[in-house]
Amino acid sequence: MSTKVQVTRPTKIELARLKRRMKLATRIQKIVKDRLSILIMEFLQTVKECASAKENLLADFKEAYKALSIATGYHGYAFLEKELLASDMTFKINTVTRNVAGVRLPVFETEEMDSPHFSVRNTPDTSSLIDNSAALSRKCLKAVIELAELQNSLELLGTEINKVKRINNALEHIVIPGLDATIKYLTIKFEERDREEIARLKYVKMLIEQREAYAY
Amino acid sequence: MRIDNPAPDSIFENCLKDDLKTLNAHLPRKRKLLSELLEEKHPHVECGDGSTHFFKKKELEHLAVMLDDSEKQALMLPIMIEVGSVEGGTIVRSKNGTEAEVFSKILDMPIDCKCDVITVFRPQLNVLRKVLKTTTQYIFTT
Repeated sequence: MSTKVQVTRPTKIELARLKRRMKLATRIQKIVKDRLSILIMEFLQTVKECASAKENLLADFKEAYKALSIATGYHGYAFLEKELLASDMTFKINTVTRNVAGVRLPVFETEEMDSPHFSVRNTPDTSSLIDNSAALSRKCLKAVIELAELQNSLELLGTEINKVKRINNALEHIVIPGLDATIKYLTIKFEERDREEIARLKYVKMLIEQREAYAY
Repeated sequence: MRIDNPAPDSIFENCLKDDLKTLNAHLPRKRKLLSELLEEKHPHVECGDGSTHFFKKKELEHLAVMLDDSEKQALMLPIMIEVGSVEGGTIVRSKNGTEAEVFSKILDMPIDCKCDVITVFRPQLNVLRKVLKTTTQYIFTT
């Protein structure tokens, strides 16, 4: 990829401006790189947590389905359905955000999931099998919420990493080389102008000397 | 070498400006003590951009278990992790050494606090961020 030299006026002011800009671009690139490394670190950590949360979720669901099928086998579908209809399973999720390196990630927190009024209605007809099944289902719900938080964070972090990477690449491959090339071009141009000036002065000096020699 | 007209890179500059603005916008206006946050129903701090940063209660309780009462009165939250500082790497500024105490308990190793500065290395940062997700925040410096 050829580097573009972007200059209209080859002046010293322009050179100073470009140098200042170059300094700023380098500083920004450092921050962007730091941010990128932090985001990647967070992303990888979230991936790991997501994988383990998924494993936990599958294990929890396996247990819950097992318990539910045992409870269904013991009580029958109709009875279980009747009990579940009467059960009080309302719960509250607090959805708030946390900020990681400029990215807003969701935080889901369940409230009072373990309190007794979230359990299935206890009547003399029900057994511990239903209670066990309900407890395991609550555990599944918690795991689902945790996984939802992690997967959402993963998506958001991924999108931000892409964005930051593009900015970093633009700085690294377009902006900074462009400024560098322009600064070099201007420096060469000024050096050339200086050399021309010296040559011109020498020529003028020679002419004056010749004129003076002829005058005598 | 080609000489072009100056490219309209003002768009890019504006984009960068916005990006850098949002980078440290999440910093809290005022940090709160752990003891204060433990008493709140929804523990949170107000951020510079007007948003609110919430803490997970579990994390606060985890910290409360780790520290004694005087340390709870001294620990300011969120703990600020400085990235790209002059000292190099990642650092945490600690005035009373409570942060060092917390880190050493989480990492299960002694942590030095030289001149009110704790240097945190990347593998340590991974562990810390895993445990203290909402109680730590990044701050980008040059």
